[in-house]
Amino acid sequence: MSRDPAIIGLGLTAMSLTPGGHPTDLASEAITLALADAGLTRADVDGLLVNSSQGVRPDRVGVALARSDGFGDLRLLEHLEIKGATAVAMVQHAVLAIRAGMATTVVCVFADAPIQSGGSSGSTYAHSGGNDGVRGLERASGLLGSVPTYALMANRYLAISGGSADDLCSVACTARQWAAGNPLATSRTPLTADDYFAARMVSTPLRVLDCARPVNGGGAVVVSALRPAAAAHAPVFVGGMAQRHPARRRRAPGESWFGGDASIALDDALTQGGRTRADIDVAEIYDPFSVVTLCLLEDYGLCKPGDAGAFVREGGIAPGGELPLNTGGGQLAGFYLQGMTPLAEGIIQLRGAGGERQVADAATALVTGLGGRADHHAVLVLEREAR
Amino acid sequence: MSDWLVPDSLAPNTDGPLLPLYKAAARGELALPFCAQCDTPLELDQTRCDNCGHDVVSWRTVAPLGVVHAATTVHRREPGLILTTAPYHVVDVELDSGHRLLMTTTHAVATTPIIGAAAVIAFRSVGGVSVPALVADDRELTSDPTNPPHPTPTEVAP
Repeated sequence: MSRDPAIIGLGLTAMSLTPGGHPTDLASEAITLALADAGLTRADVDGLLVNSSQGVRPDRVGVALARSDGFGDLRLLEHLEIKGATAVAMVQHAVLAIRAGMATTVVCVFADAPIQSGGSSGSTYAHSGGNDGVRGLERASGLLGSVPTYALMANRYLAISGGSADDLCSVACTARQWAAGNPLATSRTPLTADDYFAARMVSTPLRVLDCARPVNGGGAVVVSALRPAAAAHAPVFVGGMAQRHPARRRRAPGESWFGGDASIALDDALTQGGRTRADIDVAEIYDPFSVVTLCLLEDYGLCKPGDAGAFVREGGIAPGGELPLNTGGGQLAGFYLQGMTPLAEGIIQLRGAGGERQVADAATALVTGLGGRADHHAVLVLEREAR
Repeated sequence: MSDWLVPDSLAPNTDGPLLPLYKAAARGELALPFCAQCDTPLELDQTRCDNCGHDVVSWRTVAPLGVVHAATTVHRREPGLILTTAPYHVVDVELDSGHRLLMTTTHAVATTPIIGAAAVIAFRSVGGVSVPALVADDRELTSDPTNPPHPTPTEVAP
């Protein structure tokens, strides 16, 4: 019997910091794990949505995965691309497709392997982007990879908010607190302020510990109207979902690097399920750089403008805090699997499967994706119980 | 003459939508796009005005003056792509025309550009292509007490 779509399967590969693995193989492994978790096989799947890292590797995952990975005839197959917001958007598309009758069981997958022999992930990103258009001009100006861009955001944010590097440090240290309880996290040892300020500077004010940890890995989720008896976990429900793509022009007098209408997406998603911000038990947000956590806390209306730094420094997002955030260590200390990182952790928390980092009685999770230079926002409100 | 920051291999392709910028830069002028109908300053790759919907872009020379909107000093230097051995600066300049442009400095300097400081734009050559760059010397980048380095919160867009 068909029911409202829910997330019934999750698969995460090992998160490797060393070269090896091909995105397609990692995607296949993640799908196998997710389907086993859901109590299904590839024969039960009639929809496949694919998300790959844009422009970093030429051999990224695409719709050819449907053929190469042994799926049968599909009723839905798409390669989605709104950058870091894509993983969250895949779940949104899957839910809509199932509700529309286009599919019954949809697999959503992301995999990437930016760490290659002969160079770091930073080197891979620095060499990507090409010489055309605006990006070509930026690269000729020394903007290689994404760190300098977010460093501009960080310095601008700190200048406007009156914040300091202590705020960034608090975000990084808090991420480590959470990562300590996540077996898949790449950085699980405690981080002190002294450790943080001793870390290598990449682009002021961002140190290496302010930056996400790219990994070679994959993640997949299964969204389905089915409730297989063999499923390993109870379903997780989608209580609200929304996107916002603010046309925030990079010209005077607006802000180039942060601000916008991200809070509207959150408003829309919460309203659909009759929720408010006070109902959020855990928040899993896209945090490729420490400053993004600060900006998004304010952009989402979870903190007043300029207050995010103090909120984090006072333990607001830490274990036991008012708003447990990025409870697996996020992308900073957990692993950078783009939008799959917050999505997976939101599911884990609502399943009650978070082990040492489990937030007690977590019933409502905010999961967000962010794409480009904070140009794209996708939001899910996940629920432990159907509403 | 080679650039101080990046190799010729990073010379931008000029035959795309930014051709008017590169043509003007070769003459030592800064040309930027405006809506031909309502004169809204447009982004470099914008082909239709978001204010009035007009689809004709007018590139014209603007004063190479503005303020530093954001700045960072990049310490990571990718082998083969960054030539300088010292950290370098990237700035987001808000021009008097209303445009914002990302650039580095005309030459290697130690002084970090300060947010809110006055900015003068010139050019550097990468593989024979002229690209905008901040004229940076210690005198010009010293914070001016009449021009606060940090904008007040009231200047922030909501």
